[in-house]
Parts: sequence; C-alpha cells; structure tokens
Amino acid sequence: MFGRRTPANDLADEFWANVQPGEVLLRAQGITKRFPGGVVANDHIDFEIRAQEVHALLGENGAGKTTLMSILFGLLQPDEGEIYLRGHPVRFSSPQDAIRYGIGMVHQHRKLVPAHTVLENILLGHPKARGVLNVREAAEEVAAIAEMYGFNLDLYARVWQLTEGEKQAVEIVKALYRGAHILIMDEPTSALTPVETDRLLEAIERMTANNLGVVPFITHKMPIIFRISDRVTILRRGRVVATLPTRDTNERELAQLLVGREVLFDIQKPPATPGDVVVEVEHVTARNDKGGLALNDVSFSLRAGQVLGVAGVAGNGQHELAEVLAGLRPVEHGRIRFLGRDITTASVLERWQLGIGYTPAERTEVGSIGDFTLVENVTLNYFWDERYVQNGLLNEKKLRALTESIIETYQVVTPSPDVKAKTLSGGNLQKVIMGRVLSRQPKLVIANLPAQGLDIGATEFVQRRLLDARAAGAAVILISEDLDEILMLSDIIAPMYEGRIVQLIPAEQADKETIGAMIAGGRTRANA
Amino acid sequence: MTLTGYRIRVVRRATLPAWEAALFSLLALVVGLFLFGFVFIFADASPQQAYREIFRYAFFNPNGLRLSLSRFIFLTLCTYAFIVPLRAGEWNIGMTGQLYIGALTGYGVVYLFGGKTSPNVPLSPWVVLPLMIGASMLGGALWGGIAGWLKGRWDVNEIVVTMMLNFIAFWIVSHTIKDGGIFMNPGGRGEGFTLPTSLRAPLIGGVPFTILLVLGLAFGIDLLFRRTSLGYQIRAVGLGPKAARYAGVNVPRISLVVFLLGGAIAGLAAYHYFAAVPGVYKIARDYNTIGDLAFFGIICGLIAQGNALATLPVALLFGGLSIGGRFAQGKLHLGFGVDYALMGVLMIILVAFQFFYRYRLIVDRA
Repeated sequence: MFGRRTPANDLADEFWANVQPGEVLLRAQGITKRFPGGVVANDHIDFEIRAQEVHALLGENGAGKTTLMSILFGLLQPDEGEIYLRGHPVRFSSPQDAIRYGIGMVHQHRKLVPAHTVLENILLGHPKARGVLNVREAAEEVAAIAEMYGFNLDLYARVWQLTEGEKQAVEIVKALYRGAHILIMDEPTSALTPVETDRLLEAIERMTANNLGVVPFITHKMPIIFRISDRVTILRRGRVVATLPTRDTNERELAQLLVGREVLFDIQKPPATPGDVVVEVEHVTARNDKGGLALNDVSFSLRAGQVLGVAGVAGNGQHELAEVLAGLRPVEHGRIRFLGRDITTASVLERWQLGIGYTPAERTEVGSIGDFTLVENVTLNYFWDERYVQNGLLNEKKLRALTESIIETYQVVTPSPDVKAKTLSGGNLQKVIMGRVLSRQPKLVIANLPAQGLDIGATEFVQRRLLDARAAGAAVILISEDLDEILMLSDIIAPMYEGRIVQLIPAEQADKETIGAMIAGGRTRANA
Repeated sequence: MTLTGYRIRVVRRATLPAWEAALFSLLALVVGLFLFGFVFIFADASPQQAYREIFRYAFFNPNGLRLSLSRFIFLTLCTYAFIVPLRAGEWNIGMTGQLYIGALTGYGVVYLFGGKTSPNVPLSPWVVLPLMIGASMLGGALWGGIAGWLKGRWDVNEIVVTMMLNFIAFWIVSHTIKDGGIFMNPGGRGEGFTLPTSLRAPLIGGVPFTILLVLGLAFGIDLLFRRTSLGYQIRAVGLGPKAARYAGVNVPRISLVVFLLGGAIAGLAAYHYFAAVPGVYKIARDYNTIGDLAFFGIICGLIAQGNALATLPVALLFGGLSIGGRFAQGKLHLGFGVDYALMGVLMIILVAFQFFYRYRLIVDRA
C-alpha cells in the first residue's frame, strides 16, 4: 500500500503490479452525496469495475452520473461510503490524487489547451514535466502508447486544429501516459463521427486486453452500450436501479429501467386538422450578428394545428429565423403577418401579448435567469399580464400557484419553487421553460432545439407537449437538427441551407435521405 | 491548508440566512475597529478613549447626534442613487455630478422667486419648498438620465459617462457661484447666495424633515424590488439581460429609468445637504468635499448588497463615524484625515468579509 502523497508514478506502478484478469480493480460501496437544499444526488451507490471489463453507467440527466463521476475522480468527496482500489480503502482529495492512484478521466468537454501542441498537452501536469524534461524521450514514450492503442496522432499538431475524435484520443493517451488503470469516459461517442467511433471501440478493446477497466458514462446514445460494454449499471434519481450483463438485456428494457416506465420510441401523431392561417412569412431577409446574410428570401405560411419542422445543420439560418419571428432580430426586407396582422416591426412584448411563444435554444442564458427562483423565472412571461399584475404589483400568490402547477404537470424534479434555476438539471430547466411558455397557450409556438441534450424521458415528454399544443390548435414551428425528430413530429418540413428554405415538403412525401441531402446543400429537388 | 494537525478547507456556500450575513458584518466591524486601534496607538492616543469619544459624540451627544443623522440622510440618499441602477447591473459613479446639478436647479427655483436679493425676502415655503425639491430631483434625474439614455440607446459605458459628467457638473457649479456667476453670493466670497430664512426646511427635533423622505424611500425601494413589476424588470435586466430582452423587457427603457430614478434621488440628497441642513443653507465654497462624500454611497451600497433596508444601519454607522471621527480628531489632537482613514479601513474590511457570504471555512482534524 502506498501513502497518501505519492510523488510520482513508480509507487503506483508497484501498486498496480500483477493485475489478474477479472480482478475487481475498483469498488465503490454505499456512495452517498447530498447537496444543500435537500437534493440527494447519489444514494448508497454500489458499483465495481473489473480488469478487462467495460462497465457502462447509464442514466438520464439528473440521475446522479456527474456527481458519481466527480466523486470517482476526486472532484467531490462523498458524505458516506467508501472507495476501494484492489481491496484497499482510498480517499481522493483532488483529481491529482485520483490520477496518482491510477484513475484516468476523458472529459466530454475536453480539458486541453487549444494553442498548445498535442505533446505539450499530454505532458502538461505529468510528474516528469516538473523538473528538467527530456522531450525527445517523452515524445517517444507517448508515441509508443498512441501506437499501441491504434491512435494516429501528430504529436506536434496544435490541439485547435484537431477533430473532436482526435482531441478525445489526446485525452485518452494523456491519461494512459499518466499510468491510468481505470479509464472513466464521459459520453465517449457523443461528438464522434462513425469512423472515429469504430476507432475508439478498437482502442477500448486493446485497453481491456491490457487488463484495464473502462467506465463509460452514457446519457443519450443507447445503441453504443451494446457495442461497447460487458456490463451496464443503470442509475435513476441517484440510485442504482440495476446492474446487468449487457448480453442479457435489450434497448427497450434499458429504456424502461432508465425512465421508470414503458417508453414508446415512436410517438404516434394524430392526423392534422389544419385551421386558419396563423403566420405568414413573406420574402424575409435578415442578417446574423456578424452582419452576414442569415435569412435569404424566406417565405412560408402555417395554419393552426400544424407543425412546421425546420431542419438543418447548425448555422444555416434556423436560429435567426426563430429570432426574427420572436422579434429579437430585425427584418431587413420582407414581411411577417400573424393572424392577418403585420407584425414585421412589432416589439418582443407585443408579440408575446398577441400570442407568440418562443422557447429558445440557449436555455441558461436566454430562456431563464439562473439567479432567479423558479417562481421568478415563470414571472418572465407574466410580469406584464394583468391577470397577474395589479396596479404595478406582482401577485405573488398567483404566480407561485402557477409555478407549482407547472412543476406538477411538467414533472419538474425540484425540492421547491423557491430554488434558483441554476440548481436544476438541463432537462428540468427545459421543462420549466416549456411549461412557462405553453401555459400562456400561445397561438404560435416557436421551439428552437427543444429536445437537444435531453435524455430519453425528457425528450419524449417535450415532444408530446408540442403535439399537445398542436392538438389544441396552435401552429408550431419546430427547429431541430435531428431528422428523426423532424420526421416524427412535422406536418410540413422546411429543410434550410445557407439561409434559404430549400423546399417546403409535406411530411407524407418526405423521406430522410432526400431531406438529409437538402440540408447538406447537395440537392435541390425541382419544383413539383 | 494544514495547520498544526488541523485541516482548513474553504467550501462554497449554497445559501446564506440574513442573520448570518448581519453577524458577519458585525464581526467585520469588530475586527476593523480592533485593527484601527493600532493607528490610534501610533498616534499616541488610547484606542479605548478614542472610540469612546467617537461613539459618544456621534450617537449620545445631542448636537453630535443631530449632525450624525443629517449625514445619515445624505449617505442613505447617495447609496440609493447608486443601488437603484446597480440592481439593473449598471454602475452609477455619477452621484456627485447629479448632486451638483440638483443643487443648481434647486437654487434656480429660489433665484426665480427672487430669493437671491436678500436673506430676508418673505417667500411662502408652501409654494417654493415643493418646487425646490422637485427641481433638485428633476435636475439630478436629467443629469443621470444622460448616462442612462446613452447606455440604453447606444450601449455607451455608463461608468465613463457618469464619471465625466461629474467633472462637467463640478465646473458648471463653479461657473455659477464664483466670479460673477448668476448664483454668486452678493458678498462675493466665491460661494452661492444664501437661502432666505423663510425657506429653511422644517426641522424635527433639530433634524431636517428629509429624514421622513428617506425612511419613506427605504420602504419604497424595498417594495419596488420585492413586489412591483418594474422592480422585477430591473432585476431581470441586472441578472439576465438576454433573458430579459427575450421576455419582452424594454432594456433601453430600463437603463433610462434606473438612471432617472438614481439621479432624482441624488438630486434629493443635494436639496437635503445644501438647503435643509442647519448651518449650511447655500452652495458652499467647498462644495466639492460634500461631492466627494457622495462616493461613500458606492461602498455603503456594496456593503448593504444593494438592499435598501440594510442600507439604513450601514449609512447610520458611517454617518456617525464621519461626525464622531472628526470630533475626536480635534479633541485628541490627532493628525489630519484620521476620520476618513477610519471609515476607509472599516469599509474595506466590511467588503472583504463578504468573502464569508460566499464561502465557509471548515476546520477539522487532518
């Protein structure tokens, strides 16, 4: 056993000598973490990782994955519970401590210095780099590790030049060069292309062959579990729901365990019953923040009870379209009519008052105020509404009751309506924003990336609420980068490319390949 | 950090009850007074005696208490002039300039009623006083409004604008009261003309009636931010400007409104100091010292964390210290500026102690 303050890796090497295949490398027992305000993020979590094993941790947003990961990596200390490494109790007081004990971490949001080279990033923080460093020797060692795991890295490239997959490889090699025997990976495949994913899986295979244990934390991409892992542990609301061998389970069972109820992957959409025209956009042109042309002669009209799915790769004008409709961005040319009335120059407030509701993609910066309580955040859409304001005074009682009803109907997980919005998880925050906007019963709903970054349960919930709004007779503009979502929810599809709507396509005539080609700029279907 | 077997950790707080915040401020005060005691020792004075003189004069001597309360009124108003824009995330560094212009417009009303001709002109206070107060507030509001409008309409930095406007206002006052300016005292001593006796503000137990306005404002501002839609919009702009704009708050208008309000309050402070405090009753030759005193409003506002009610004890303390400190300085023959040094040290320590509002020290055995 080595002491609490291990200066370098040599003792760790001794500690990790003679690992047997299948031996338990790390065991977490009864890990409990409570946060101020009564949130129990981790509730007696038991978890183990064996040598040669990939043990995935699956959980929705807010299930306690981040907390557990932080505890395993020494960023947080558990209130209760123990961590054992090869049977010895250990306590990590900092990430440096965890690294010294042989824990490696591959972050979802890469912790690299973009202006430095790959090699510099790998050596940064390494004990060898503390005194005089033999760069050539270090470079050879790093190159050997990269090669061993099949990573083709240019050690002298600058990190900002790399693709996401290459950056991830840098983080992996860095952890392995520090002597990691257990590798924790946060959403390992979320930003990777299919080819990069294949390469990663191969590297992981080589790691396990070398007696390492790998722990991927996964929220969204369930199919990857079946390609990557030997065992899977499912977290829900801070507790371990089940630990299963991956080969004995399937996607439907995992989804059910994850959400706590049956999940229908296909939302059945009732047939559309189009009403009167709600919004007409005529030849609208607008600029982006840098002054470039963001919307180029965009026209469409939408009826009550219809969903317009605006598909596109980020940066092709969808965001500006949403802002133009919400009144947050000026129209350069063209006209917008809402219920027959010209609103091209109407203020943001006038549009809210007329019945246009916008849920922005930037939920923490635009859609909510982190330092405001949930009641105050709900007030954002009511501070001018005479049902809730009398003689300039806010009716706190009614606002609180409204907030409580939103929390209940939208199943927001929060200890109280008085907590600050910044304490909520992403999915819960989006539910508050959605609930707030839809509680106004707007006649036009503009939903900008409503399900982005949400887990399965929350995604399904948000999508259902949009369809509810449609059924209630609202016109819905759904902006999404997810073609499956667009195809599932829309009545009319508007693929956007470079500020133009390529073509308006009725959903029943749309197929994924055609739209995929259109948003990539590859094809413009001739007008029918 | 480890000290003799104990481990000291700094942990971020999630919440802070109001009583704990008050306790830390009190603790900061004790520490500050203790540390400043060394200054008295180096000045060959006994700290106990010095503090006794300061506090006894400031709060227990009838004369001193009246002066302290006048200062308290002034400091509170300057603090409010600062915190109303602060809640919208905007820094009003221009209380001084708004104060100067407020003094000029207030005395402008007196001038228009012919009050310059003699201190004995019989004027009806029922007519002129409200107009004076209104004019002072309007003048301050317009001067502040310049910064608010520029900020809201063109996003011009409000700190720079208010700071520059201070200098302009300073020289306008100088131009008006010195060397043949229209408000020059007929006696020609480089100061403004004297307020006619008939227009002296009513006193309540020797304290100008403006104390009632201050107390009213305290509850008014507190209500504004806790209950009203306008106050809510101001806070939304301060804490989430993009979210506020998204929700339909007219952000440029809020910028203008907070500076109009702040400026108006600074104008009221001008009325109070130059036309309501016994013994002044004119724009004095050294009007700049009172202008400088207005800057203490910034620090009082930061200590009170933008809270209108918490401002009251803070301003009372510093109002008293500035009066008591000056008194003790004379009585104990201390060096020049000890009073301001004492206030400065206490303010720095109070602000420094706000570290504990956000962090907690945990000491346990390593």
